[in-house]
Amino acid sequence: MKSINKFWWFVAAAFAIISITMCTFGWLFWQQLAPDQKTILISIIEQNFVYVFTVVVLILVCFIFVMDGILHVYILPVKKLTDEIHIINSVNPSHRIKIEGSRGIIISLAKAINEGAHRYENLQRNVDEMIHFARTESEKERNILAAVMSELSEGILICNSDGQIILYNKKAKQLFESGSDGKPERNVQNGLIGIGRSVFGIIEKKLLVHALDEIEAGLKETNKNVSSFITVSREEKLLRAEAVPVLNHLKKINGFILILEDITEQLEKESRFDSLLLSFTRGVRASIAGIRSAIEVVLEYPDIKKERLDEFTKIIHRESITLGNMIDETFFDYSCRFNSMWPLVKMSAEDLLETVRKKAEEKPGFIIHYVKPDLPCWIKVDTYSMITAFLFLFEELKNETGQQEFSCNIECKNKFVMINIIWEGNPLKIETFRVLDKKIIRIEKEGKPLTLKEIMKHHEAEAFSFVDRNTANRSCIRLLLPSAGESTSENIRNLTILPGSRPVFYDFDLFNQPGQVPEVDNRPLSELIYTVFDTETTGLNPEEDEIISIGAIRIVNGHLLRDENFDKLVNPGRTLPFESIRFHGIEQHMLQSEPSIEQVLPLFGRFAESTVLVAHNAAFDMRMLQMKELSAKTKFINPVLDTMLLSAIVHPVHANHNLEAIAARLGVSIIGRHTALGDAIATGELFIKLIPLLSRMGIYTLKQAREASQKTHFAKIKY
Amino acid sequence: MPEKILIADDEQSIVVPLEFLMQQKGYRVMAAYNGEEAIEKIISFNPDLILLDIMLPIIDGFEVCQMIRSNPNWKDIKIIFVSAMGREVDIAKGLALGADAYITKPFANAEIIQKVREVLGH
Repeated sequence: MKSINKFWWFVAAAFAIISITMCTFGWLFWQQLAPDQKTILISIIEQNFVYVFTVVVLILVCFIFVMDGILHVYILPVKKLTDEIHIINSVNPSHRIKIEGSRGIIISLAKAINEGAHRYENLQRNVDEMIHFARTESEKERNILAAVMSELSEGILICNSDGQIILYNKKAKQLFESGSDGKPERNVQNGLIGIGRSVFGIIEKKLLVHALDEIEAGLKETNKNVSSFITVSREEKLLRAEAVPVLNHLKKINGFILILEDITEQLEKESRFDSLLLSFTRGVRASIAGIRSAIEVVLEYPDIKKERLDEFTKIIHRESITLGNMIDETFFDYSCRFNSMWPLVKMSAEDLLETVRKKAEEKPGFIIHYVKPDLPCWIKVDTYSMITAFLFLFEELKNETGQQEFSCNIECKNKFVMINIIWEGNPLKIETFRVLDKKIIRIEKEGKPLTLKEIMKHHEAEAFSFVDRNTANRSCIRLLLPSAGESTSENIRNLTILPGSRPVFYDFDLFNQPGQVPEVDNRPLSELIYTVFDTETTGLNPEEDEIISIGAIRIVNGHLLRDENFDKLVNPGRTLPFESIRFHGIEQHMLQSEPSIEQVLPLFGRFAESTVLVAHNAAFDMRMLQMKELSAKTKFINPVLDTMLLSAIVHPVHANHNLEAIAARLGVSIIGRHTALGDAIATGELFIKLIPLLSRMGIYTLKQAREASQKTHFAKIKY
Repeated sequence: MPEKILIADDEQSIVVPLEFLMQQKGYRVMAAYNGEEAIEKIISFNPDLILLDIMLPIIDGFEVCQMIRSNPNWKDIKIIFVSAMGREVDIAKGLALGADAYITKPFANAEIIQKVREVLGH
């Protein structure tokens, strides 16, 4: 500890000076004595040497004790006081100074500072409140804008001129990172889209450069400044991208906006339509050719033989039948495939029935019951026509059977959802149902000119009369609808705008971010992109123990991006020691179906690519990662910073640099301690607060931070 | 000696009237109902002209055309595509493969007779 050493050097120097002065005086005094006086003095000293020596030693010891007291009561507390004032001034205004073992003036000084800090904090709070109030309004507008942006059906990516993503919406993330079923495939693609990540990782650089060149050329000549191209996502989705430039005041391209649209389905539909049209045209042509050729022969040769004439009339007859059938088939194909362009909305069968019940019971006499299924069954429906179909069925059933009370139930079976309409009494005759199926549905006067059959066809559904042999005297009409899967995420949009619900998916400061270059070392700490991570392990010995969880979060431009995290459990392939379970709460059975470290580490490598790694006690976590580098074929060459070492640089007097202690000091509350992601988030928050404290000590760049870290005594811990 | 015409089409409804029509105009006519048969008939019948459909079973009309054009013995055989494939690109392809004319279905009988005469140099 430097300050202690300094103090003792000062004491030693003071002591030396005093000793030299006293010796000089003693020597002068000795010179003035007469020789007999000298002999008397010598004999007195010789006789009482023990006393004199004891007194001198006692004085020395007292001196040292007093000095040590001064050191601990005044000097060190003052040093601590300065450190803590820094904390109050910079990162944690709520911090209050507690000086133990000190007294008098230091205590009152601390009190005065605390009082000052209290006032300062109140003042700050008032200012904050005022700012907050002023911001709320603009925040509201931004929220609406962000919500609109995030709910757009197109994917939006905004990038700076270096291709770093500075804004993206939910749809863009979905387009590039979801599997074909729309669910995010976390194991395969993780963190491809993120603030500060390069857009070239998802869209081929050549394509973008070409688009930008085109825009630039367009800007010079005409006013056309949009360029579009087609790209393929990793999931083999075809995306139409439209690039729009963002210009600065000099009309130079400062960045660009990409508007992305998934055209896979549209193209498929178009090509299906094309092939349908093509085969129809060919068929019609071939048939008409036969008819025309035959009839022209007949017309041209009126005296043709009877058998020949018959042959030709047969051809004409046959081909006209073929033609008619072809038109029917094509039309059926067309309506089946292309009329499913109805906007079908995903909803649970239960919700549909609830609406049906409400609507039906608006009419006098109808009573509808329905049984909720154990799990929600999801279907895709055009609600208006489907409800109309239900009401039509109720009405028709009432006319046929006289019944007005129906009970409905829902069953999910394989790929279908069955909705049964059940009533007491006789079933519908097949003929009756056939008529009903083709009847144009009209409900009161507002009805749609549609048949039940058509409505069902649009839903790729079927409706039929059904007799359940288990339930005597009960009849049933069954609607068989294709199940829309289990997930609720797709298509169900949450447009409610809640304060603070806006996801932080953008960072416009990055517009001015210099490119990711190898000279990271001399870049200011506040400008770098970090991956803060933590591992949970089976124990504390990297040689034997295994990683069971990796959690990480990104820091870009001094912001912790909570939405861009990495959170994975790892199957260690061995049993978990009991003590470790108590520590991290992860149990054996939770890991059985998880991927191995060989699968997870490359993903983490990609997540952390071209960023600075930050961890608390990084030496341990890095060692754990390095043990697996070979088998996982992933190498971590990222620069590393350790919050434990950084804290030791900033607060050398404080002995405790564990996560809780630093967090308490810097006013960070830890949520989810001892989960990898929870610890990573806490570490990230601490790290952000440490950056300004480091700059007060003249540590601005990554290089400086690394060099200073190496000098702290914690850096000597090896794993 | 009347000129010989081979009609290669899988649709009987096309073959029968065409056959009749060409016979009436004084040609000797033979029919083939798929690509393979067309090649066999070229060898045995040695026609002066082929009315060739494209969508033929086994070997399609384009391929038949290519086979004819790649055989020096058959270089004098005239080829007229008679097809329901009426896109410009199909016509261009047919002519590029060495056909002498391309008629899209449906056609007028007068039109096909005129084309046949034209191609045969009458």
